[in-house]
Amino acid sequence: MPELSIMLAGFGDALTPINLFFVVCGVALGQFVGAVPGIGPVMAMAIAIPFTFGLDPLAGIGFLVGVNKGGLVGGAIPAVLLNTPGTPDAAATALDGYPLAKQGKPLKATKMALYSSVTGDTFSDIVLITISAPLAVLALRMGPVEVFGLMLLAFAVIAGLMGQSMLKGVIAIALGLLAAMVGTDPEHGTPRLFFDQYELYDGLPLPAVAIGMLAISELLRRLSETKPNVSAAIRLPKNQPKSDAAVSWAEFWACRYTILRGSVIGTILGALPGIGSTAAAFMSYASARSANKDPKSFGKGNLHGIAASESANSSVMGANMIPLLTLGIPGSVGAALIISAFMIHGIQPGPFLFENQGRLIYGLFGAMLIANFSNLMLGQFGLRFWVKVVSAPESFIFSSALLMCFVGVYLASGGLFGIGIMLAFAVLGYVMTSLGIPIVVFIIAFFLGPRLEISLSQTLSLLNGKPEKLLDYPIGLVLMVLAVITAVLLSRRRDKG
Amino acid sequence: MANDRLTGAFFVLFGVILWFWIIPTQVDAVDYGWVKPRTVPLALAALLAFCGAALIFAPSSEILPETHNNHKNHWLRAALFAGLLVVGLALMKAFGFMLTAPPLAFALMWLAHERRPLWLLLGAVAVPAFIWLTVAQLLERPLP
Repeated sequence: MPELSIMLAGFGDALTPINLFFVVCGVALGQFVGAVPGIGPVMAMAIAIPFTFGLDPLAGIGFLVGVNKGGLVGGAIPAVLLNTPGTPDAAATALDGYPLAKQGKPLKATKMALYSSVTGDTFSDIVLITISAPLAVLALRMGPVEVFGLMLLAFAVIAGLMGQSMLKGVIAIALGLLAAMVGTDPEHGTPRLFFDQYELYDGLPLPAVAIGMLAISELLRRLSETKPNVSAAIRLPKNQPKSDAAVSWAEFWACRYTILRGSVIGTILGALPGIGSTAAAFMSYASARSANKDPKSFGKGNLHGIAASESANSSVMGANMIPLLTLGIPGSVGAALIISAFMIHGIQPGPFLFENQGRLIYGLFGAMLIANFSNLMLGQFGLRFWVKVVSAPESFIFSSALLMCFVGVYLASGGLFGIGIMLAFAVLGYVMTSLGIPIVVFIIAFFLGPRLEISLSQTLSLLNGKPEKLLDYPIGLVLMVLAVITAVLLSRRRDKG
Repeated sequence: MANDRLTGAFFVLFGVILWFWIIPTQVDAVDYGWVKPRTVPLALAALLAFCGAALIFAPSSEILPETHNNHKNHWLRAALFAGLLVVGLALMKAFGFMLTAPPLAFALMWLAHERRPLWLLLGAVAVPAFIWLTVAQLLERPLP
């Protein structure tokens, strides 16, 4: 456990003007891109990572966390105003947000989304700050066998829950691991699968793969679907009575149990790899509806519906960081991108983080809390501005994003070769998505590939060819058995639909 | 379902090619250690082929999004945009970012049905200029 002085120093670092500036900028960018259907915070994070190279690690990672958190708030804006969620997480928000907007209360709906989102997010951040250091102490006691077992379990959960079927999830894992094999073999130091391209000696460049699959492939899909003469015309009503344009304290307080329930659901689901905020939002929505005295009013503009969805989807973000910071396992693609930012800054995520980089981690916690406050302030005063953003033409936004991707990958990989890799993985991502193979699983497997191979090698060395020696590692054995059981159960559940 | 069977067949073929051709030619043979350089790639090739075979015999019944499954037009348009990006990359190699970005952005916007001069001007001139200002001038990093 880090000492109190390190924790305080970390929180103090987060409050320096430069770090504050980048966190606020990240939140503003996140709200902006969240408000644009089709861009979203994940794509924005992927594009922004290379631009954080030159920054101090805390400023860079704080900026990305800000983008992610801001995106969760911004995603609710088009969900409420257009019935088109800016991010998948906000789909449940549209169920009640859009009917409320149609009743002439779009600002009330977006403000309820904002307050619930910030409350849920802060709740999960506090849970993260409280339990991650003790969990990391436990994680430090894990050897290679336990790490290998844990990775198998994470893969089983992720493959089973993301995408259309377990088989396609496993295919995505295999492809991601195969991509991670490119470069130099970690044990023997011999080159592998580099096809005489010496730029690939160090492996496929992380930013090029991530941006290609997450950003460019999605941009290609969105561009291919653009239609002529379509513009989203949204106007906020002027001179509304205050009761229609704002959420009163009484209205917010009436939703307190809904928000608390949503925050707990989001935090629990967020801590488990692979489940994601969309599932949390719908689960919380269903739970709020069944607990409400008037369930029939859900779907017709009930504030509880918005509060349930937004508190749950936002509380996933902080909880996602629990497996990332304690075990080095990303629970979502956003977390995977934050891992890549850590690695770009030369920091290896995992249980040693709290020992070696305690000050940075507590700085990051401070940045997360500041981002929540910024989210509230920027959302409170900027909602009207973000509404205008929703009506910017897709053609302009997507072409600009493509140029940013080109420059970002060039900066990150130091050459045009990286851009070529990015385009190749964009095509792969497009094809995979079209065939229902989840690219998020691919990316997580790609990140974890080298660690998986090393822990497998160490595990086999420890067992020395004797499988019965696994009994000496009961936790590792239990994790492996759990992985098999999870895979079987999840694939059966999928088969039953 | 037919889509899944085709996908499965592709992965069976891909797994076989990996096992018999790509891995033997692209990964050095080493005969010591528990996990040799070829061990994990070969295991992955086998896993891909196995999953491919399983997809052929047990295709998932879920329906893919309409845009991906049925609209060949979307595939063609996506290929067109991807081709444009490849051309953009080639031009960037020859002429650099500042000369390539404006026509590339213009072409992308035009293909995305944008015809309003103001937006075209913003996309093709203002955005590359903004990138140049932030990256080359403020961050002092080279552009492609």
